[in-house]
Amino acid sequence: MREFTERARSRSFLAMAVIGPLLVLGITYLLFALGGQNKAHWHVLITDPQGIMEQKIMAQEDAAVSYDFANAYIEVADFAGNPRFQKYDAMLEVNEKVLNNKTAYLFYREKPSMQMAMRVRFQFERRLEEVLVSEFTKLSVSDFRKIKQPVNIGFRNVYDPRDEASDLSGWVGYFFGAVILLFIFLFGMTILRSIAKEKSNRIVEVLLAAVKPRQLLLGKIVGIGLSALLQFAVWTLLIALGLFVMRETLFPDLLDPANMDVVQMTQAVKSQALQDQMLSAAEYNDFVALIYERIHFGNMLIYFALFLIAGYLFYGTFFAALGAVSGSESDGQQFVIPLIFLLLFSLYAGHYALQNPTSGLTALYAYLPFTSPVVCMVKLAQGYPPGEGYLLFVSFFILLISGILVLRLAGRWYKNGILQFGHRLGLKQFIKWAKNG
Amino acid sequence: MLSLESISKSFYRKVALEDVSLTLQEGEIYGLLGPNGAGKTTLIRIINQIVQPDRGIVRFKGDLLQGKHLAHIGYLPEERGLYRTMTVYDHAMFLGRLRGMSKSDVETNLNYWLERFSIGDWKKKRIEELSKGMAQKVQFICTVLHQPELLILDEPFSGFDPVNVELIQQELIEMRAKGKTILLSSHNMKSVEEICDRVALIHQSHKILEGRVSAIREERRNGTFAVRFSGSMIAFVTALWTGFELIDKEILSDNRFVAYVKMRGDNDFQDLLQVLIGQVQIEAAWEVLPGMQEIFLDLVRG
Repeated sequence: MREFTERARSRSFLAMAVIGPLLVLGITYLLFALGGQNKAHWHVLITDPQGIMEQKIMAQEDAAVSYDFANAYIEVADFAGNPRFQKYDAMLEVNEKVLNNKTAYLFYREKPSMQMAMRVRFQFERRLEEVLVSEFTKLSVSDFRKIKQPVNIGFRNVYDPRDEASDLSGWVGYFFGAVILLFIFLFGMTILRSIAKEKSNRIVEVLLAAVKPRQLLLGKIVGIGLSALLQFAVWTLLIALGLFVMRETLFPDLLDPANMDVVQMTQAVKSQALQDQMLSAAEYNDFVALIYERIHFGNMLIYFALFLIAGYLFYGTFFAALGAVSGSESDGQQFVIPLIFLLLFSLYAGHYALQNPTSGLTALYAYLPFTSPVVCMVKLAQGYPPGEGYLLFVSFFILLISGILVLRLAGRWYKNGILQFGHRLGLKQFIKWAKNG
Repeated sequence: MLSLESISKSFYRKVALEDVSLTLQEGEIYGLLGPNGAGKTTLIRIINQIVQPDRGIVRFKGDLLQGKHLAHIGYLPEERGLYRTMTVYDHAMFLGRLRGMSKSDVETNLNYWLERFSIGDWKKKRIEELSKGMAQKVQFICTVLHQPELLILDEPFSGFDPVNVELIQQELIEMRAKGKTILLSSHNMKSVEEICDRVALIHQSHKILEGRVSAIREERRNGTFAVRFSGSMIAFVTALWTGFELIDKEILSDNRFVAYVKMRGDNDFQDLLQVLIGQVQIEAAWEVLPGMQEIFLDLVRG
């Protein structure tokens, strides 16, 4: 409790509890906003001296863009500099050859977002189609639209025909796993520093006269872990609240169905380069959809918490033992490197699992306690095949039991090392102290 | 109160204690002496169950020492530590609760001791804001806060000025009067002489001496006497002639001295007085017993 209350009451804890979520929300906002280069509304001037579009472009009002028509050409320089045209964000030049070459030019003051460009292109093309149909065919516009349906080939995993998982979901699992590792590293180092400090200021001997070494060790790990969980809970709450507020206030149109119909829009454009751009815009919308629609946050958070606790217990005991056995500060710095290496390897294992979800090595990584926190989060996000969901629990229990066993070992290191000072720490010491129960 | 029976402990190949037995009675101050590395701290850690002996038994009030007994033992280690960022109050509360005290008992006892040491105003201060002496008082208070029956103090006077040494000594004497048992490990031989009832000397992992301080000193009397007189030192020395040896003197003022004299041959104290009477004006004379420091050095150096 002392450990928990000391941390929870510290100014740095309170600051991080607020700053952390603000940072995450800030990054999320930037991803949304910069991905969109958001200008809320565009006012476009269409120069159509031939009257091809008959001063019509949209069947319905669009809140994001409005058009005015000019029946004479306007020089680009004039449009750019003349105060009369300053209220327009862009000029769409429709020349007499457009029905043949299907080419028009849009001159913008600020480069539009992907969405805006897509919107204007789509609306212009639809109007152009109407003109072309009435000019060159006997079909009505509605008949034409029925014929011209986009062909959509959906790529699906035979084991996941409803496409409930996707590459992007796997990355979300990887992100959760990386957050677990980050927590383990940050709070593991906190454990190490705290124990090393108690050792160096010699309070530990007073404590050992009242409680057993293993109790002290566990109390340290649990106390710091509780403060980590509290911080995680605060972060989750603030980030969830922030995402909700952003969705309702800052980016309500991102989930507008008109923007989601990217398949139809991309079919209207023949240029491969433009199609690629639209697909990246589609991915952009996919990202938004992922955040708000497809991630089962409840499920992920429960397993995130479980693997965080078990992973923290497992790794935390190593950090604690290292803090206790160090003879000097350099020992601690030197011997923490293998632990960091293990964490980085765990990150690699998660990435491997992303790329090779069904590989035997991935399955092994899912059971190894060093790598299971990250790999299991990836596999959970990707989805376990039907009937194999229990493997997640197997991984969790292996991790938990490993943590308990490692705690016993760390207890020996702690007991033997905590009152030793000035020695040079080496592998021999670890082995000697591990044997001395 | 506490008995250690044939305690032995080795750390890998180094023998820290070999067959050491001690018994502490209730209401006594027991001094544990020995040079650095003798095994005193190991013995103390065994009593506190920080370390387990390889052989031997520790009994507390007749029962085998167990974890539950630690609530009745207070320990002040030589290398003391405090949580520097905690306040005095929080620190005492933490250690008191660790020893099984209730919150109200900790507050009551803490207030008592803070007033006793005249540092009541510092209750809400952080440890790092205290001077070294005040921090050490806080450490002492935290050791006695739970009113232990057995108090183990490793170098309790280290770092204290003479005024505070006197203060701590008085507290220990009062505790003894209330029936507490105190095990005191110290290199401050003056304090050991003044307050310890019995002592044991540990040297090279063995106990080489044990007994009452007065008895140990009397056993090692070496026939040295002190004489305080006024007169001429030359006359004093002349009077001694060959029957006595002047080993030291103190000059108190012009013509007032304290002379330390050792007997030679069969001469005794009466003979000394007889030779001096009429030669100098004797004010006082007494036997000088060897101090614990001298005994300690003689035994350790062999």
